Amino acid sequence: MATGTVTQVIGTVVDVEFPPDSMPAIYNALHTQIDDRRLVLEVEQHVGNNWVRCLALGETDGLKRGAQADDTGAPVTVPVGEPALGRLFNALGETLDKMEEVESEHNWPIHRKPPAFDEQSTTIDVLETGIKVFDLIAPFTRGGKVGAYGGAGVGKTVVIQELIRNIGAEHQGVSVFAGVGERSREGNDLWGEMKESGVLGSTVLVFGQMNEPPGIRARVGLTGLTMAEFFKEERGQDVLIFIDNIYRYILAGMEVSALLGRMPSAVGYQPTLGTEMGDLQERITSSGGGSITSFQAIYVPADDYTDPGIVTTFGHLDAVISLDRALSEQALYPAVDPLSSNSRILEPAIVGQEHYDAARGVQQVLQRYRDLQDIIAILGVEELSEEDRQIVARARKIQRFLTQPMFVAAQFTGQDGRYVPIRETVRGFTEILAGQHDDLPEQAFYMVGDIDEAREKGERMASEE
Amino acid sequence: MPSVRQLRRRIRSVESTAKITKAMSMIAASKMRRTQEAALRGRPYDADMRGILADLAAQPAPDDEAYIHPLLRRRRIAKAEIILITPDRGLTGGLHSRINRAASEFILEQENAGIETSIIAVGRKGNDFIARSGHDIRAVFSDIGDQPSLDDIRPIVTIVNGDYTQERVDAVYMAYPDFVSTIVQKPVVQPLLPVVPAKLEPKDTVGYIYEPDPLTVMAALLPRFVDMLVYHAVLESIASEQSARMVAMRNATDNANVMVDDLTLEMNKARQESITSELLDIVGGAAAVET
Repeated sequence: MATGTVTQVIGTVVDVEFPPDSMPAIYNALHTQIDDRRLVLEVEQHVGNNWVRCLALGETDGLKRGAQADDTGAPVTVPVGEPALGRLFNALGETLDKMEEVESEHNWPIHRKPPAFDEQSTTIDVLETGIKVFDLIAPFTRGGKVGAYGGAGVGKTVVIQELIRNIGAEHQGVSVFAGVGERSREGNDLWGEMKESGVLGSTVLVFGQMNEPPGIRARVGLTGLTMAEFFKEERGQDVLIFIDNIYRYILAGMEVSALLGRMPSAVGYQPTLGTEMGDLQERITSSGGGSITSFQAIYVPADDYTDPGIVTTFGHLDAVISLDRALSEQALYPAVDPLSSNSRILEPAIVGQEHYDAARGVQQVLQRYRDLQDIIAILGVEELSEEDRQIVARARKIQRFLTQPMFVAAQFTGQDGRYVPIRETVRGFTEILAGQHDDLPEQAFYMVGDIDEAREKGERMASEE
Repeated sequence: MPSVRQLRRRIRSVESTAKITKAMSMIAASKMRRTQEAALRGRPYDADMRGILADLAAQPAPDDEAYIHPLLRRRRIAKAEIILITPDRGLTGGLHSRINRAASEFILEQENAGIETSIIAVGRKGNDFIARSGHDIRAVFSDIGDQPSLDDIRPIVTIVNGDYTQERVDAVYMAYPDFVSTIVQKPVVQPLLPVVPAKLEPKDTVGYIYEPDPLTVMAALLPRFVDMLVYHAVLESIASEQSARMVAMRNATDNANVMVDDLTLEMNKARQESITSELLDIVGGAAAVET
């Protein structure tokens, strides 16, 4: 393979000159050496004069002009398949868990084509999460994409980890977790927890956290996805992929975009924002027997849902979980806003009439409560009519009943998590809407599992008084 | 985050609400003074009337059922009537719901004791409440106004006196908000009929000479006493209503102003943010074109 020379280093973007007759292809990986450390570069552009512009997948500290760069003739490839299970990787497919190297008979490039439209399967099947607010308002589809939106510190990661626990632990197939630009500590915690609960054996973990340069953070999602694709395509399995946090992928692209010489677009985002997001999201689909169900945490900068980065992601999702700061400030966890969360499959033909009515009823009551909030703030709750006061009381109960203790947060709340089947969730909310629990104090509904537990708690509270 | 336009619209709507509540609070404040005076002026009359009644009751009288005035006769209570005095209009904070709650607790107590109840609603808020809770309504009075005369009250008294003397009911109570001060109005439930004069030892009597005789004076005085009690309760209720409304509307105005301040802050932030991002886009775009 051809060998080039480094001609320019601008932070994380490196230009390499090649002989005119052996230019590397776009996305090819180049290997260069900094002292005794290997640095991988990925070709992004041909800029003319026999130069290629590359993204460094690693630190460029110590890299000099004139250094040799060897074309590997292929994009970055990572080991996939059974040997990868239970292991911890970085974006380049190198192991991080200080165990022996992974030798797999399959090594796949991280840049791949998404399945064509006619290959995508269209069956709809509800996936139970055991978390009341998700199952009720935004039911998940097997093989669908779910996004959890939220500003900083409203609990996105907790929600994702609870989903890993609830679905990942009960799910029979393979799971992949891709940590993109989040806290490095979380990777460690997750690794430990999975080992303890015994699900590590069917899980692949891929990390490129906030300590990594942008090149890594922009590729680690693809690495995780490639590993998931193998199990879907070659083994026909149902695969779960968890991505925390997809916005860091956009952000990494934004960091390198200007260095690659692209003109910034609205709010400083890369002009290729939609394409980049599409490259990743379009590959998360169900096709040919297997399926990939994805759960993505999405950070919302400054709680601004009209941010272009956020809007671009919205379009790809089947179900949207929107986490609201106002709720987390009231300690209503999970802080999911039932009015802005939704799912494509929340319709009577799929989830059933009773479920649909309960979900819409809950939203109606909460919407009315929100409308009344100005009146309450100015005139006080006393001025409401009797009917409105009842709506307010029920809305507050519903708000509390939408909370649920989490398994993964047990060490913070001191309370064990609850898994609530969809049937119980629907029954509980239907009963509250029908006014069967108007006699219980609202506190009885806070942090409980099903409605029977709320009733029990209410009666216990009454007897303690 | 809501846009600057949305925020501006909300600020305008809250501001106009504040204007209305402010006007209402000022109207209530001027009415409050008049109605409070009226309520307080009645109190000495009430005290003297009670004194004379007690004195009369302590006079020696023939111990014969026939000589006891019908409004004084006590009997076993099987049916009770409750006069529920409330404001006609809302926007008085928690005033009417407090008095309604006190009344409904009282009604529940009576019914638990096996006593049938019927209600005479004076004021629309009480009527609405009773109608909704499905109790028996004997009569409804509304639109009494801020300065009622005794003539406006008399029909109420005629009904209760008639019901009591004809033994359709065995006790009559009044539930109304007692005016304590501008800030405090206490819901009270008070017995009205049978009239129970205060106990007075014969030696404590003033020693009035009654012409032609105590029984005749008693018979003339008792209906007036009932008139006065009901009239007084209505005045207390009106004074309470105006005081409560003034306080409630003043609080509402304050709340609305706080809200306007918060929203203005938020709007300014949103405005500044949009300016900053537009500037960044222009500068960034220009810089990119130059290089």
